[in-house]
Amino acid sequence: MKKQIAEFKINGRIYEVIVTPNLTLSELIREQLDLTGTKHACEVGQCGSCTVLVEGKPTLACSALAVAVRDKEILTIEGLSRGTKLHPLQRAFIDHGAIQCGFCTPGMILMAKALLDENPTPTRQEVKDGLGGNLCRCTGYVKIIDAVMAAADMLRKGGE
Amino acid sequence: MKLFEYFEPRTIAEATQLLSNYGEKAQILAGGIDLIPRMRKGDVKAEYVINIQKITGLEYIEPDGKRGLRFGAMTKLRSIETSKAIQNDYPILYEAIHQITSVQTKYMGTAVGNLCVGTPASDVATALFALGAELKLATAKSERTESIENFYLDYFRTSLQRGEMVTEVFLPNPRPGTGLAFLNLVRTRADIAKISVAVAIIVQDGACREARIAIGAAAPTVFRAAKAEAALTGQKIIPQAIHKAAETAAGETKPITDLRSTTEYRKETAKVLVRRALEKALEKLKT
Repeated sequence: MKKQIAEFKINGRIYEVIVTPNLTLSELIREQLDLTGTKHACEVGQCGSCTVLVEGKPTLACSALAVAVRDKEILTIEGLSRGTKLHPLQRAFIDHGAIQCGFCTPGMILMAKALLDENPTPTRQEVKDGLGGNLCRCTGYVKIIDAVMAAADMLRKGGE
Repeated sequence: MKLFEYFEPRTIAEATQLLSNYGEKAQILAGGIDLIPRMRKGDVKAEYVINIQKITGLEYIEPDGKRGLRFGAMTKLRSIETSKAIQNDYPILYEAIHQITSVQTKYMGTAVGNLCVGTPASDVATALFALGAELKLATAKSERTESIENFYLDYFRTSLQRGEMVTEVFLPNPRPGTGLAFLNLVRTRADIAKISVAVAIIVQDGACREARIAIGAAAPTVFRAAKAEAALTGQKIIPQAIHKAAETAAGETKPITDLRSTTEYRKETAKVLVRRALEKALEKLKT
């Protein structure tokens, strides 16, 4: 297979894209589909900035081939809010000042979502462990962990 | 990334046929966590990429009768880490995976993929050496079993033949009364180990009956310190015997100097880590 038209399900929308096999998922998302919330940073799978959810599983988009995830449900940061209504994680990141330059934020939030989907009542240590693959070079980790703990609380109380 | 031809075989037979057709120009894509970044950097050149994610029946962890436990080529590190059977019966494999900080890497990456990279700095491989793991290797027509020790030939070189892939890892039941321990040294928790050690020791009537001492990142491949194991076997478990074994093990390492450590430091810490690992394993036997 060289060049082909592939279907991608991203944030509940179907995109038909002409792709070559050497296109990574992060290149597809950012460069072909202009969903620039997902960040390119280290591009070697070490920083977590490009984290998206594929079938709910946290996935490093820089280290995944786009062709390999066609027909799978993909969630990027753009698909997390409902219209202008922010997801509790997004709300909590703002409320707790868990954003400085913002570059790691989309990956942090999606990794945190995967973590909370799996474990709705994490301890602080479990949040730290869960975000172990996401680097924040502003080093705002304390506030990020505060925000995830707060979002977990919000989600347990009914979500909104 | 350079363009390549891409395949999604549905069976092991199809995948191994493709491997046989394309030989060294082909790469297997399992989790992709190692392959894709290296292909992008140009360190790995592949004209053909064979994605085995669509082969059904390669992702499992299951008991193998009463002999032990098996997991497949597509079994994710995360599934192994969270498996109660692994945590209970093969705790050093759990520990070797749990200390990998990136959760994303563990969701995507497979244990078999980690082994097939062939790096000597594999914590997973080090634990599997101590556990006496066996690998199942398949071609389109046949299957063979190989101990993990024989799988590694040299730096980034495995015994995989053209047209062959690893389909399964088998872990024998640890014998009753086996003490296990895993330890490594890292610059930061997210980094690859400077050195890692895994041990399995069986003690009877106060003497060592059997010992496995596996060392990673201190030679061209992960290896078992055979002389140290021999030195310990049959000996009364006293501090002198442990120290002697640790010193012998350090003498068996052939570490390099690289950005993570020097040869001298690795040799010295091999001694310390083997001693601590043996002590930890013995401590566990008491509880």
